[in-house]
Amino acid sequence: MKTLGGFAGKILYVDLTQKTIKTGALDPDMAKKFVGGLGLTIKLAYDRIKPGTDPLSPDNPVVIGAGPLVGTDIPSSSRVYAVTKFPASGTIGWCGAGGVTFGCMFKNAGYDHLIIEGQSDKPVYLKIIDHKVELCDAGELWGKGILDTCETLKMSDGRQGGVISIGQAGENRVTFSMAYVDGIATLGRGGFGAVLGAKKLKAIFVKGSQGIDVADQERYESLKNELLQTIQGYRYLKEWQSLGMLKSFPAVPVETYEKIKKRRIACVSCPLGCKDVVEIKDGRFKGLVARSSSAINLFTPLAYGFTDYREAVKLIATLDEYGLDMFEFFGVMNFAAALFKNGVIPEKENIPEIAMDSLESMEIWAGKIAGREGIGRILADGFAGMLDTYKKDAEDYAPALVKGMHPYTGPDSALPWDLFGTMELGQIMDFRGPHVGSGGSPTYFAKRPLDVFPRHLKRMGVPDPAIARILPDPGAPEDEQNLKIGSLLKYSHRWFSILGSLGICARAQVNRFYNAELCAALYEAVTGIGTDIDQLRLRADRVWTLYKMANVREGVGRNAESIPERWVRHPGFKNYVSEKPVTREEIEQMITDYYMEQGWDTATGIPKAETLKKLGLEDH
Amino acid sequence: MSRYQILVFPENCTGCMRCMLSCSRQYFKIFNPAISRICVQLSGIDCAITFTDECNHCGICADGCFFGALSKQVEEKTK
Ligand code: SF4
Ligand code: SF4
Ligand code: SF4
Repeated sequence: MKTLGGFAGKILYVDLTQKTIKTGALDPDMAKKFVGGLGLTIKLAYDRIKPGTDPLSPDNPVVIGAGPLVGTDIPSSSRVYAVTKFPASGTIGWCGAGGVTFGCMFKNAGYDHLIIEGQSDKPVYLKIIDHKVELCDAGELWGKGILDTCETLKMSDGRQGGVISIGQAGENRVTFSMAYVDGIATLGRGGFGAVLGAKKLKAIFVKGSQGIDVADQERYESLKNELLQTIQGYRYLKEWQSLGMLKSFPAVPVETYEKIKKRRIACVSCPLGCKDVVEIKDGRFKGLVARSSSAINLFTPLAYGFTDYREAVKLIATLDEYGLDMFEFFGVMNFAAALFKNGVIPEKENIPEIAMDSLESMEIWAGKIAGREGIGRILADGFAGMLDTYKKDAEDYAPALVKGMHPYTGPDSALPWDLFGTMELGQIMDFRGPHVGSGGSPTYFAKRPLDVFPRHLKRMGVPDPAIARILPDPGAPEDEQNLKIGSLLKYSHRWFSILGSLGICARAQVNRFYNAELCAALYEAVTGIGTDIDQLRLRADRVWTLYKMANVREGVGRNAESIPERWVRHPGFKNYVSEKPVTREEIEQMITDYYMEQGWDTATGIPKAETLKKLGLEDH
Repeated sequence: MSRYQILVFPENCTGCMRCMLSCSRQYFKIFNPAISRICVQLSGIDCAITFTDECNHCGICADGCFFGALSKQVEEKTK
């Protein structure tokens, strides 16, 4: 019998080695302690990952989860999270995606979490239809691309289901391969695809009809209606629905986008929608259909020298089909080109010659990497693998790296944003490697006047004394005004934990409609677990500190938060307020501020005993 | 209760499933797309929006669609 609203109530355990499938009840006390979704996924992974485990070994478990709001019609409550040990960084990390239909279907099948252990001896896919769960032969699917696999499974059983699939890159354990949710939302930069590939798990198909209930119907209805009204009243709603991320990042002129726009796609319950299906209308790729977690991604090759947007779309469609992370792919290709040019890799291997602006060259190299052909087998191991092979000779040519991966934003990254805010610091401080997902705050992309900060910080649930610590002292002279990015990042992480644990999308265009108090009220109304804002904040801190502890066990302390030299060399990042070049000392201070705010030791980065006690994590 | 003709514009549909969630909640007191009376099947480009025989044309699904893929038109009034 269900005791909590929102939660489906069960955990599904799959052992690929033993080929056993079991279900267990979700422990309501644990759900309460770790909120659900991201939080509970971290907890379940913490309990299972043995320190020192090889990410691609059978011993590395994968835990997947969807929060208690997923499956309800609270706007954009769609998220799916996974936690495992990642091959690119060697750290334990979260990865998450818009749940499209998968999250909702998974919950409707009766599960909040899925725990996958072991390794199959032959390719399989997991088929979950309510309580009927089976491991099926994936011999026919192995070798297929992401979308191909997704399409084969999605409609295979009456009403559509949800699919997580990997492509050839995941099968061949490329350390920058990802999995995709419903063929459109990317899951797991840093080699989540490789982790599934090593397990020979090609896909997960899920469909369910159990239904999701909420505890307090009346309160739910009133909170939801208020929220829907706010969204309906948002003056840029129509523009967002029509342009998606292109509204904020005009990667191509609107006319170009409109010409190829075929359909906008939204995850379950999302009134905004940021995903796209496009169709090329002319030229040699006429008729090519591509999907993307956002149309702006399809135009990324334009930043690397492509001049024809149609070729850019074609390349990204190819990378998506293999399941390759495009940012890491471009970084690795640039690095390889420099190594060829300087004779570190013998020129005879440079076939075809790497040309960052050539579709033909890039597509062939993508195939060589995804299939580990020729020198592609070394490139497939990412920066870490290349540095390991070519050692000192290669180091000088490597771009800025954090935990062995190429950051999203930075002086030589794909997003050449140069102000140093929480997202930028977050690329160092998230244990999973350089990711911007958890570091959101008002410092996100556009520079905002400081007087709008208090409103946003309050919304994120930052308490008043902390706001005073973070914002510049109004009495200080203008040239000493500073924003404490390190302290603020703690609250970004907390806010991300809250949203992720409930199941709400953290994208800026969505989370603008939410605030911490509303989240506590929604959680209480949906689950029936008494929760005020302070309790929610405490539980979210518990989640992030446990995430830290999982990595402390792996030896990830302050030593791992390395600052790339390139970031502090001119022209590098700039201070968010003064716009003066950021120095190494400044960033070190931000890291110290962050630890202090978290209650972690400033020298080692390890959570202090008193912090663990306060968070009820003494036994961890 | 008013009854409506529900017009569908599948080209505008994003697959957000809000319509299915609203319908199942209204008639079965639970969020469950599998039993809703409206069924949206979206596979990339193609989208089919269909209704089961039990649909009573109440229009609640159309009220919840944010993307203009459903619209309701007054069909007849009953007490
Ligand atoms: S904003 Fe995008 S990722 Fe987030 S829920 Fe909506 S469609 Fe999904
Ligand atoms: S609510 Fe509208 S856009 Fe969403 S699935 Fe239903 S018809 Fe499509
Ligand atoms: S019109 Fe009413 S009964 Fe018919 S599908 Fe829509 S909500 Fe359900």
